[in-house]
Amino acid sequence: MAGVWIIGETREQALELQGGGRSLAPDMGAALTAIVRKEAGLPDEYISCGADEVLLLPALQPDQPFGAFLPVIEQEAKTVSPDLILFMATARGKEMAARLAARLNCGLCSSCTALAFDKGSGAVVMERMAYGGAAIQKLTSSARPVIVTVPPRSFEPARPMDGRQGKVRELPSPPPSTVRIIERKPKEKVAKDITEARVIVCAGRGFDKKEDLALARELADALVGELGATRPLTEEVHWLPEDLCIGLSGVQVKPELYVGLGVSGQVQHMTGVRGAKVVCAVNRDENAPIFPLCDFGIVGNLYDVVPKIIEELKK
Amino acid sequence: MPNVVACFKWVVDEAYIRRGAGGTLDFSSVDYKIGEYDRNAIEEAVRLRDSGGGGSVIGVTVGVPESAKGVKDGLSRGMDQAFFAADAAFRDLEPSQTAAILAEIIRTRIPQYDLITCGEGSSDLYTQQVGPRLAELLGIPCVCFVQKLSLEGGKLRAERRVEDGVEVVEAPLPSLVTVLPDINTPRIPGVKDTLMAGKKPVTNLKKEELAGSFEGVLKTEAMTASSMERTGEKLAADAAGIARFVDSLRKSGVIR
Repeated sequence: MAGVWIIGETREQALELQGGGRSLAPDMGAALTAIVRKEAGLPDEYISCGADEVLLLPALQPDQPFGAFLPVIEQEAKTVSPDLILFMATARGKEMAARLAARLNCGLCSSCTALAFDKGSGAVVMERMAYGGAAIQKLTSSARPVIVTVPPRSFEPARPMDGRQGKVRELPSPPPSTVRIIERKPKEKVAKDITEARVIVCAGRGFDKKEDLALARELADALVGELGATRPLTEEVHWLPEDLCIGLSGVQVKPELYVGLGVSGQVQHMTGVRGAKVVCAVNRDENAPIFPLCDFGIVGNLYDVVPKIIEELKK
Repeated sequence: MPNVVACFKWVVDEAYIRRGAGGTLDFSSVDYKIGEYDRNAIEEAVRLRDSGGGGSVIGVTVGVPESAKGVKDGLSRGMDQAFFAADAAFRDLEPSQTAAILAEIIRTRIPQYDLITCGEGSSDLYTQQVGPRLAELLGIPCVCFVQKLSLEGGKLRAERRVEDGVEVVEAPLPSLVTVLPDINTPRIPGVKDTLMAGKKPVTNLKKEELAGSFEGVLKTEAMTASSMERTGEKLAADAAGIARFVDSLRKSGVIR
């Protein structure tokens, strides 16, 4: 029996991945197996949400990272030989997926944006972005299994169905790991989640100093929106928290309105706003790459233009 | 006195890729660069050498023979020597192949090393796989997405950024790390650095000098330009332009 595996660190991840796995497994004639941490919810929920089998990962020692499960998952994969393994494209998921792919000597499609099973050819067809978002790469694999990482929120979480039955099995505890966690520093939640924002005003390198971001905030308030940022602002000058970084290596957003202020329009950033309904820009460089990539753009100094926009919005 | 291996890739500068006819990718006017994240990997290797009282930084890269320019660029960033697997067959490799070639070079040509640094991903494909795959092929510990790193007493201590915060981890050496861009600020090589780079030793390796078939398993069925273009209406920064701007947003229904 062919198999689709989903491997989640948390209940939320597992249910989202199950949503994706459940849409593929029937066409593939495959059973859906959920590999989840024992402490991340009850097996019955995963079964009612579509899993035919739940494999429980036992609790780790306090100093063991998630990657410690690798030998256990590798062993199970070599025994059962699934066709497709889905991970979430998080830091831990991406690392584990790549290491597992090396151990199983198989292909891995990273940060997959479209995933389908082609019944005719019997191939899993995967798409992902390349060249900073300038290109879409379509991949198939000649070997099994094939591993795929998908960004969070790619799939709707699987919902419970009536009358589902499945098996539950506990996997063995992993051996001690060479990489040991000596301290965990939980993230201080300072920034709002902008992935759900209806309007985003994004600040770019066109701002001269940190205090000037008040202008961007003011526009965001006038539009009842949230503030976002380009990578240089969060990673280089650290004017805004990293959670607000929009782009290929940050968050992907899909607001109704995106307004880029002093944003040049690098492809890595614009890829993150692909899902926006309307994209606007204010930039003093008329040749900035953002202009062909936006719906409406004002060529001008943002320090001069933004107060006027706010004024106009009040009318 | 750490010996650090820095892996890097000479890549197409994506800013110059154009959308060609029928959604093809037009590479006709592209330039090349050292991958953005790989610059951090090289800088971190150099920093650890310099703060560790000596040792050396050995660069390793895989590519087509034309990528020789990238080897010199890498050396100008402070590396002491480089291994360059150069072969016409090494074009458009998938991550498993790149990792296998790097592993073969490190296994057979670099007898003693303490640490391998990689960028968090390449600037072109950004699969973020080569580092962790390489660690597995060499059978050494791996710590990905590192924002702070130090070596002491045969161990590394790293701050790894994960979705829910930071994990401070320890691992025995030799290990492999992939680094985030904010771990350091990569230097911009000066004229002197570039001149000196030309005098540093480079070992070129052809495919037949490496044991292994380096077959891939993935097939790229298509690589097409993604369309991000919009209507692109440019407005002036005068009263009429701003009125038209706000009016357009109202008509689009995106302002409530």
